[in-house]
Amino acid sequence: MTAWRKPTVEPEDHLDEIPVPKSFDGSLFKRLIAEARPHARLFVGAYAVLLGLFLLELAGPWILRGAIDGPVTQALALRERHADAFESKGFVRELWIWASLYVGCALATLIFRYLEVAHITRTGQAVIADLRARLFRHIQSLDLAWFDKRPTGQLVTRVTSDVENLSEMVTTGLCTLAFDVVKVVVAVAILFFLHWKLALLVSISLPVLIGVSLFFRGGARDAHRLVRARLARTNGYLQEVLSGIRVVQVFRREERVSGRFASLLARYLEANMRTIFLFALALPALDFVVNAIQGATVWTGGIEILGQRMSYGLFLQFWFYVKLLTNPLQELGERYNVLQSAFASAERVFGVIDTKPTLLPSAPNVARANAAPPEPFRGHVRFENVSFSYVEGVEVLSDVTFEIPPGATVAVVGATGAGKSTLVNLLLRFYEPTSGRITVDGIDLREWDLGVLRRRFGLVLQEDFLFAGTVRENLVMGRDEIDDEVLAEALEASRAERVVASLSGGLDSPVAERGATLSTGERQLLAIARALAGRPELVILDEATASVDSTTEARIEEAQQSLLSERSALVIAHRLSTVRRADQILVMHRGRIRERGRHQELLRQRGIYARLHTLQFAEA
Amino acid sequence: MKHLARQFRRFLLYKRTLALGLLCIPISSAADLWLTILVGDALDDLRTASNADFLKGLFFLMLGVAFVRGVFRFYQRWWIVGVSRYVENDLKQALFDKLLALPLSFHHKNRSGDLVSRITSDVENIRMFLGPGLMYTLGAMCMLPLAIGTMVTLNAPLASAVVVPLLVMGCGMWLLSPRLQKHSLAVQESISDISQRAQETFAGIRIVKGYAREEQQTAKFDAASRETYRHQVELAKARGFSSAITWGSKDFTYLPILLIGGWSMIDRGFEAGDLFKFVDLTFKVFWPIIAVGWLAGVFPRAKVSAQRVQELLDAPLEIDDPAAPRELANVRGHFRLTDVAFTYPGAARPTLERITFEVRPGEVVGIVGATGSGKSTLLNLFARLYDADGRLELDGVPVKELRLATLRGAVGYVPQDSFLFSATWRENVGFGSERPLDDAELARLAELACMTDEVARFPNGYDQTIGERGVTLSGGQRQRTCIARALAKDPTVLILDDSLSAVDTETETALVRHLKSAGRGRTVILSAHRLSTVRHADRIVVLDGGRIQAIGTHDELVARDGWYSSTWARQQAQEELAEL
Repeated sequence: MTAWRKPTVEPEDHLDEIPVPKSFDGSLFKRLIAEARPHARLFVGAYAVLLGLFLLELAGPWILRGAIDGPVTQALALRERHADAFESKGFVRELWIWASLYVGCALATLIFRYLEVAHITRTGQAVIADLRARLFRHIQSLDLAWFDKRPTGQLVTRVTSDVENLSEMVTTGLCTLAFDVVKVVVAVAILFFLHWKLALLVSISLPVLIGVSLFFRGGARDAHRLVRARLARTNGYLQEVLSGIRVVQVFRREERVSGRFASLLARYLEANMRTIFLFALALPALDFVVNAIQGATVWTGGIEILGQRMSYGLFLQFWFYVKLLTNPLQELGERYNVLQSAFASAERVFGVIDTKPTLLPSAPNVARANAAPPEPFRGHVRFENVSFSYVEGVEVLSDVTFEIPPGATVAVVGATGAGKSTLVNLLLRFYEPTSGRITVDGIDLREWDLGVLRRRFGLVLQEDFLFAGTVRENLVMGRDEIDDEVLAEALEASRAERVVASLSGGLDSPVAERGATLSTGERQLLAIARALAGRPELVILDEATASVDSTTEARIEEAQQSLLSERSALVIAHRLSTVRRADQILVMHRGRIRERGRHQELLRQRGIYARLHTLQFAEA
Repeated sequence: MKHLARQFRRFLLYKRTLALGLLCIPISSAADLWLTILVGDALDDLRTASNADFLKGLFFLMLGVAFVRGVFRFYQRWWIVGVSRYVENDLKQALFDKLLALPLSFHHKNRSGDLVSRITSDVENIRMFLGPGLMYTLGAMCMLPLAIGTMVTLNAPLASAVVVPLLVMGCGMWLLSPRLQKHSLAVQESISDISQRAQETFAGIRIVKGYAREEQQTAKFDAASRETYRHQVELAKARGFSSAITWGSKDFTYLPILLIGGWSMIDRGFEAGDLFKFVDLTFKVFWPIIAVGWLAGVFPRAKVSAQRVQELLDAPLEIDDPAAPRELANVRGHFRLTDVAFTYPGAARPTLERITFEVRPGEVVGIVGATGSGKSTLLNLFARLYDADGRLELDGVPVKELRLATLRGAVGYVPQDSFLFSATWRENVGFGSERPLDDAELARLAELACMTDEVARFPNGYDQTIGERGVTLSGGQRQRTCIARALAKDPTVLILDDSLSAVDTETETALVRHLKSAGRGRTVILSAHRLSTVRHADRIVVLDGGRIQAIGTHDELVARDGWYSSTWARQQAQEELAEL
């Protein structure tokens, strides 16, 4: 009988599919234990704490029994026989001894209870802190093609919540649950030692408790998942409506949308009620089983006491040990669920760790790569019959051949999708050409040590990405050789001194996430300064298309000139001034170089370049 | 507190169920107490009993009492927590309806993330406090006097000695909870720091790799990671303290029981059964006290949440029907703008200024201009998504004086972002119609939106789910679905906010023709980046920095030197290039 209206629920649709949970997986545990090995000492400590705590838990009821069966019972017996001459002093003194023993245990328990939480959590966190760092380093080393396929948010989840979740495998799995097993076994053994008849009775009823606990576990897990899935749908719809609020309002569909939300809420409510039902049932049911075990203990124990085969103290001790036994079993289901979700996370995390990067210097070439790179670095780039496709069958570059002689500027122009940025991506070796080869100073790109090579490059990309940190950090980018003098030079050459001067903290001003505090033009100037600071021999420049005011535009032009002068450079050009100065212009169209030459020559050809020129460079 | 009380009124809608649930609490508490007394008394009886027969009866009595307690505990939870879930839904619905009614200027000001968190986490905080929180508090208020009363009747000095550690614990929990909160906040912040580091590295992976910056990023990440570790350990210490206080005070309640109880037994015939009752009752008052301590800890959060929820419920509806709304029997679709201006709330400069032009019934008017020239803003004014300054009239009546339903009922709108629901194609198009659409009507709309072939290729036809959970539509398909939706409304005025950008030129021409001819002399106002879209419009308004730079037909504008003619030339060149 319920006094509320029943939620009206639409028929189930396929959208509520519940993902299949990851069940117990021994191999994941093996991996985890391997990860945890460096922290073996922490684990020894954790088990010592759990053991100590268990012994202290056992000690309490033992002291109670000692006091009752000792001084109390003796005193009562003596008083019954010689009520007149009864003197309690000696017994009370003995009671004090038991009590001080108890105080000792209680104080020790305080410390161990503290350690139980503090140390075990620390153990788990220590394991995952290492894992997190390793995971991060590993993800960074993976190929760009791998990144292209995954949304950034998903990768962030791997190093945050998945790793956090995994800590449960350490704390709940390797520590608590593992020790619970020990506790239950030892407690049962002790019960048998104390009173085997009663112990037999208790132990045959334990499977019932375990059964009930695990029975509800399955239901609770599914119900929780359903709640989460439906909550996600409700929130998803909410987000959706908020982003389309103008459509809803112009079409005057507030009522319909509200009705739809109501029906989603009703389904969420229905799932919630199912969960509440299960929990409302499970908790009393588990209690009831425990009460039945206790009742049976009283019944049998009473008979034993009456038959003088059991003392009061022993009975009490027994009673509390049974509690010690049933508590972990009652929580078994819950713990199992926690572990299961940790398993799912562990699988995802180890899945990433098992992905191997392919763009490392290949093994036979490592020796050569690490051998001294040719000095001096001249920055002589050759693309030889290079073809490339991101997706098999769709060629983005076809048979591209060109050369950047040392000190020359090669500008690439072409419409969107012509394959310009792919040239940059290949030269940086973010991807491997499908066929053909690229050489720098006569050495195949695949044989260069990537770190050494990339440090020779001065890189300015479209996204002029700035990291959270100070302006200085963003300019230096961890290159130790850049001192203040070099930095000042770079700032001057890039016309970015005024940008820095306008910031209240100068070079040490913080840059907010993605440089949000700086204007587009300022970010571009800083990106150029960053490239200049490295005194690069080879410049890769993808000119920004975002429009800036004419003063800033003039400064950017000047900055670029100092960046490009006397260096080899590959430029994806959007500026008229750049193409005019370029030693060679490559006109890309649909993945091929269709025209090449200097500005005036190309204009005279009246081909693609001439049209592009009107399109891109003609003043509006 | 005031706000929480207001939210509690929502619980009173279910007062019968709530009352029943609350009634269960004393009954289950009493049964719980009875169980302890039963065992304790049995232990006493064993002293004097001659045989064990009474134990069998006791066993079944215990089962019975345990069962009764179980049943009432079930209903207590089912009813009280159940009501809290119903209230949660009511509150969410109320907030949702409010959000639907609030004007665009409100949504412009408030990030959707913040609004969503009010409907999700704030509502949950309130529910936890007023629902399960209430249940635990009342449970404690029933159990505590019952248990302590029983203890006092058994042995008053012992009872008072037992209460002391419990009070210490209650206070300890209360004192520790700010520290716990502080550390858990620090953990959350440091995790979000980690997540930000990861985010920027993975998003900027080209720069990271291009500058061989992997080591630096790793070092920074490690630092953030170590910080999280440090905070986690601090939090674990605080939790360790609270665990020690909780368990420790329980352990220490046994000390007086052992000492005073034992002494009383030796001296004054205090029974072993009574000792048992003390020990067991201590167990039973233990959890309610922890629950109350927890409740005191979450109270500040619940209070803030209730306030945030109330703020949203009280937000003023700026755009609403006027006091005496005017109707139009038959909307002709004649808009007249006289010196219209608009400034976004909080913006320094107006987005639109001195806009004066006219859209006559049945005309196609194009609005063009560079990015940021105010095209979308201008289009939003027609359906009164924002209120403009100056004079904006429909069929001679200022739009502010019209009934909102009349105005918006006449307008069809195709948004720039091609917003669609993750639902079936039928549902999305049907969104524009008052009643469900049959297949014949859908076929006609698909035809008008030049989508017949594509819809036929959907695996599930009209009932194809689109969006994340179904097929992903191309930009052009999305735009045309939005157009079909707007046409389903059969509006007198159709507004398109750069909604043909992803459609190829050929289809575009057909679409514009359909838009105009499908209704009887429909008025069409459309903005565009691509000038070929507005080429055949009756009039084209060129915006520049929020002002009208020129008005004319395509031919007139091309002939004149200016933004329009140069942009036209560039776009033509682009088209030619694409065809090479």
